[in-house]
Amino acid sequence: MARRYDSRTTIFSPEGRLFQVEYAMEAISHAGTAVGILTKDGVVLAAEKKVTSQLLESTGIAEKMYKIDEHVVCAVAGITADANILINYARTAAQQFTYQFQEPTPVEGLIQTLCDLKQGYTQFGGLRPFGVSFLCAGWDKYHGFQLYKSDPSGNYGGWKATSIGAGHQAASSILKSDYKEEITLDEALALATKILSKTMDSTQLGPEKLEFATLTKVDGKLVLRTFSPDEITKLLETIKSTGSDK
Amino acid sequence: KIQIFCHQMSILQHNGSSVIAMAGKNCVAIASDTRFGIDAQTIAFDFSKVWQISDKLFVGLPGLLTDSQTFSEKLKFRVNMYRLREEREMSPRVFSNMVASLLYEKRFGPYFVEPLIAGLDDKNEPFISGMDLIGAPVLAKDFVLAGTADEAMFGMAESLWRPDLSPEDLFEVISQTLMSAFDRDAISGWGAVVHVITPDQVITRTLKTRQD
Repeated sequence: MARRYDSRTTIFSPEGRLFQVEYAMEAISHAGTAVGILTKDGVVLAAEKKVTSQLLESTGIAEKMYKIDEHVVCAVAGITADANILINYARTAAQQFTYQFQEPTPVEGLIQTLCDLKQGYTQFGGLRPFGVSFLCAGWDKYHGFQLYKSDPSGNYGGWKATSIGAGHQAASSILKSDYKEEITLDEALALATKILSKTMDSTQLGPEKLEFATLTKVDGKLVLRTFSPDEITKLLETIKSTGSDK
Repeated sequence: KIQIFCHQMSILQHNGSSVIAMAGKNCVAIASDTRFGIDAQTIAFDFSKVWQISDKLFVGLPGLLTDSQTFSEKLKFRVNMYRLREEREMSPRVFSNMVASLLYEKRFGPYFVEPLIAGLDDKNEPFISGMDLIGAPVLAKDFVLAGTADEAMFGMAESLWRPDLSPEDLFEVISQTLMSAFDRDAISGWGAVVHVITPDQVITRTLKTRQD
């Protein structure tokens, strides 16, 4: 009987639910897990790649991590094609802000702009919502390092640590117990790796299956770093050797 | 307000500016005066008309300075989007084509700037180009220049420039060209800035000039 109310996005069900939005979130629960952790020194994003094949040409274009501007990076979970549209929109929105105000776009403002777009697809037009959730890490001079999570409904929240995608429930429960506010960047990288190893299907962790990004300050300058496959291998070795992978 | 004097020839002479770009051996240089004036009055002497687009790409935008500023911001927008999407820097040649294209889009209501582009491509080959306010490009091997002192600069550049100048010699040649030329122009001058771009670094120098 719920079926009657899910053919149009712009209609509530009798129980007050938007089925298309919920179905969009269902699509995301099949996507690779992404984890975000906020520390005093910066933000860590880690994600599991679902599309892995020996035949895949490993170009620079990432599957999960995308730079939005020099001070904002995000991890996506969901329908990659939808994500590409939103990433492009976010990049354009960030540049438009900078064009108008001649300063980097504040992170929350960018998330709001993105979420306003997503919300529109749940109320007007009769088009399906975007099947994408974002974890956005950024820095601005107003609020320092920040981490935001947004979903297909257009809702967003600021988080200290959170996750999206297939393993997000398991990931969030580990975060609840292991996250501490004084966590350092290196500890956060190790924690994110540990979480992904627990939520991933395969037992072997390697650069073909993972993507990492960090946003930190080095000598007072903001550094946005997406890890190359070699850097991921090195990172995994460091974590293993320091034994933090308990 | 823009005062219309009987001797004012065009909107491109409302502010006054002089910019020049030159190619050397594995290097390029671009220089501009730093006067910001409105008609005959000088308002500031720290307004460079050369904007850095990326590590090894600079654009000089002499002409109406409000358009110089706004157009440079538009260009930064486009270059940033390109860099994010392509995950590489825009090459000078491609940038030059984009500038020409953006200018022509405003064919019947143009930006009053005459861009000069100077940079090193990803193989560190020198590239310079210039164009008029509606995007007609010129790809030169030696030098390109624009501004209210352009005719004086042409004479100087033609005499002083020679091929395969080293970065130090290129700096001397471009500086002397620019300074001698804008000293003959009432609405250019009041200081100058010179950027010399080599594969390893960019050296930016300000010149001590006549302050009149």
